[in-house]
Amino acid sequence: RANVLIIVLTEMRDKLRKWREDNHRNSEQIVDVGEELINEHASKLGDDIWIIYEQVMIAALDCSRDDLAWTCLQELKRQFPGSQRVKRLAGMRLEALEKYEDASKQYDSILQDDPTNTAARKRKISILKAQGKSAEAIRELNEYLEQFVGDQEAWHELSELYINEHDYGKAAFCLEELMMTNPHNHLYCEQYAEVKYTQGGLENLELSRKYFAQALKLNNRNMRALFGLYMSASHIAASPKVNATVKKANVKYATWATNQINRAYQVSYARCLL
Amino acid sequence: MAEPELLLDSNIRLWVVLPIVFITFLVGVIRHYVSILLQSDKKLTLEQVSDSQVLIRSRILRENGKYIPKQSFLMRKFYFNNQEDGFFKNTKRKVVPPSPMTDPSMLTDMMKGNVTNVLPMILIGGWINWTFSGFVTTKVPFPLTLRFKPMLQQGIELLSLDASWVSSASWYFLNVFGLRSMYSLILGQDNGADQSRIMQEQMSGAAMAMPADTNKAFKAEWEALELTDHQWALENIEEELMSRELDLDGMFSKELPTGIF
Repeated sequence: RANVLIIVLTEMRDKLRKWREDNHRNSEQIVDVGEELINEHASKLGDDIWIIYEQVMIAALDCSRDDLAWTCLQELKRQFPGSQRVKRLAGMRLEALEKYEDASKQYDSILQDDPTNTAARKRKISILKAQGKSAEAIRELNEYLEQFVGDQEAWHELSELYINEHDYGKAAFCLEELMMTNPHNHLYCEQYAEVKYTQGGLENLELSRKYFAQALKLNNRNMRALFGLYMSASHIAASPKVNATVKKANVKYATWATNQINRAYQVSYARCLL
Repeated sequence: MAEPELLLDSNIRLWVVLPIVFITFLVGVIRHYVSILLQSDKKLTLEQVSDSQVLIRSRILRENGKYIPKQSFLMRKFYFNNQEDGFFKNTKRKVVPPSPMTDPSMLTDMMKGNVTNVLPMILIGGWINWTFSGFVTTKVPFPLTLRFKPMLQQGIELLSLDASWVSSASWYFLNVFGLRSMYSLILGQDNGADQSRIMQEQMSGAAMAMPADTNKAFKAEWEALELTDHQWALENIEEELMSRELDLDGMFSKELPTGIF
């Protein structure tokens, strides 16, 4: 029976590690597995326990389990007093309780000690976002990016904020940064194409068609890009401002896209029949 | 004239060759952990972090600029290289070349480096030379000239002995450099026991610019960026894409990992 316990233990530990490494945010599952690990088998985990505490705490905050989060935080505080990483977790808990002022003060104290701490600055920006102050959040994020131009997560966040504000030009700029640093990521190409399509206008439609095609080239199965290709091509073909050659080319593109879409439907139909 | 092959006592193998290997290896491992303990924290200023990221961004622009539209590329190139207010043209950082004499932390770093690496090597080399002297240890598999004799046959006073037969001191030095790959296997890359790497770093560090020399780095990036042209990778993307049917294999299947990024 002890052997079964050990196997279960290692399985749970491995699951948590896999979720940690893949950056999964499946908080309910993490809380389930993590809570049991912490409560029943804390002694057998060794030094892993600290990083598990961190992982479970963030998941607990997501699921509004403040009791569990508090326990994890206390353990971490006891083991690592004065650690900035733990301070950031304390700040996150305050954020979860909507005590934004206190959370902000917490992050400020981290930044006083270490001005290069990116995590604290990003949390402050998320506080602004949570409070709905998008204009301020955008401004702060821009300042942050001026110092840390390489932070891809931040560029993506900024593009989302701009899209929410309907400032598609600036969102496109952010996505261009991401496309340059990740030239093989088909999702960035697709998002960029969608932004260009939304902006409208002949030039932007052509760009969007090209980037939908690029996304499709990087990942043949990206259905959204395929539909986007069809729509941008047919839009250009239907526009009165284009000359005959351009129109003909775009009709050809749209037809090709239609054929591929039909093929995809057939594939899915065949799968359903299986 | 074939030299009569010397047959060495197998005790030599057991009590000399193997112990020297072990000693070298263990000393290396100890050195690695000691260097970890003695490591001083290197704190980077905000400006340094920021500058290094800017340099990376400019490099990415040069390498992958062909994936963004021409207009966007030109916009960014202009931002960096513009005559009047381009970033690389205008930003001048205060450069203080840290010389070992004036910068105290550099001095202690150098001293620590010397103590952990060179000193043990000399001490142990000398000890091994003293303990295991007076007999032939092993034979190197390639022929050597007579000039190597005084170097490699420290305790052996035989004029007619082939220079390929070496003493234990040379076996020790052979081990020090040979066990480098063992260290990376066991201690992971970038370990403190890797002597030859450290010596390489010392040699190249003297010639290389210090990280505080950002102005030179900026100038180099400016030049490189000036030379870069925009060759749009998406010029003929439609023709390339539509030259064949889409590969829809595995679509809608549950096994396909749908990772986000």
